[in-house]
Amino acid sequence: MTRDQKIYRLAYWTACVIIAVVLLAAVHKVVNPAEFALAVYRFHLLPGFLVNIVSLYLQWLELVCAVGLLFVPKYRSAILWIVLMLFALFTGGVVINLLRGSVFSCGCFSISPLAYPMSWLSVARNAALLGLTGLALYSSRKIAD
Amino acid sequence: MFSVLFVVKKQVSILERIGIILLVSGVAALVSNSVHPNRIPWVQSWSHYVEARAAKQEIKVIPLSVALEKFQSGRSRFIDARSPDRFSDGHIPGALSIPFESFADHFERVGELIDSGRELIVYCQSRDCDDSLMLAAELKSMGAKNLVLYVDGFELWKKHGGEVER
Repeated sequence: MTRDQKIYRLAYWTACVIIAVVLLAAVHKVVNPAEFALAVYRFHLLPGFLVNIVSLYLQWLELVCAVGLLFVPKYRSAILWIVLMLFALFTGGVVINLLRGSVFSCGCFSISPLAYPMSWLSVARNAALLGLTGLALYSSRKIAD
Repeated sequence: MFSVLFVVKKQVSILERIGIILLVSGVAALVSNSVHPNRIPWVQSWSHYVEARAAKQEIKVIPLSVALEKFQSGRSRFIDARSPDRFSDGHIPGALSIPFESFADHFERVGELIDSGRELIVYCQSRDCDDSLMLAAELKSMGAKNLVLYVDGFELWKKHGGEVER
């Protein structure tokens, strides 16, 4: 293994672990599905009949991705592509709501009524996670080369 | 040629895996929501929800975190739309009791409040009660512009450690 490959491997692992830990935040969404459905509703981006379906699906998709990233190496690349799409969608949703003047929490990491309202800091954090996912995907290709 | 085939095969296998993960997540959601003690309906009407009705009437809505911030700043006036009994059991410190059911008896006070120009934050017991929404609609029709509906209600305020006055 070359020095570059070692660096890419380290970057890949670091990124995967951080992303998995972030996605594990879905546990409290699974524990309290009604609160997460409310957080999804408050984005006002979906027709009402889709809110619960999407919220129930998203929380499990996040959890399955987190577990897969940590324990199923064969599926990591596929999961990273899904996570990339998820972070892009979440970031877009937050930006739209900030432009609309929403004062609600994004429900990204906490569904508590005490959670801070979404802000441009939430966008920066999501963009950083998006970048991290991109880095993990790029590193996985470099390792395979 | 071989390398192109290899890349195509690899992309197909990634797509297959993406499909499997999406499927597994769907099955997990289905099973979880069937056995969950706090399960929610798959399809629910949100249009009767107080927040949705407030949006239709163009009344600004805030959650607990923002209400707490506004309370700390001391610049806003809280208005309790619940019954006098509930108000005397406990309310947000400094809140004014204007029960929606006896709104007509408080016309004069309401007029003074609106003229004060202070931000008015109306609340009631929980997310499900609509007394605060109806009171906010009345205030708006009377000319209140600096008006906000605190939608999480007194129940969550108390539960999450908000100050209570008796």
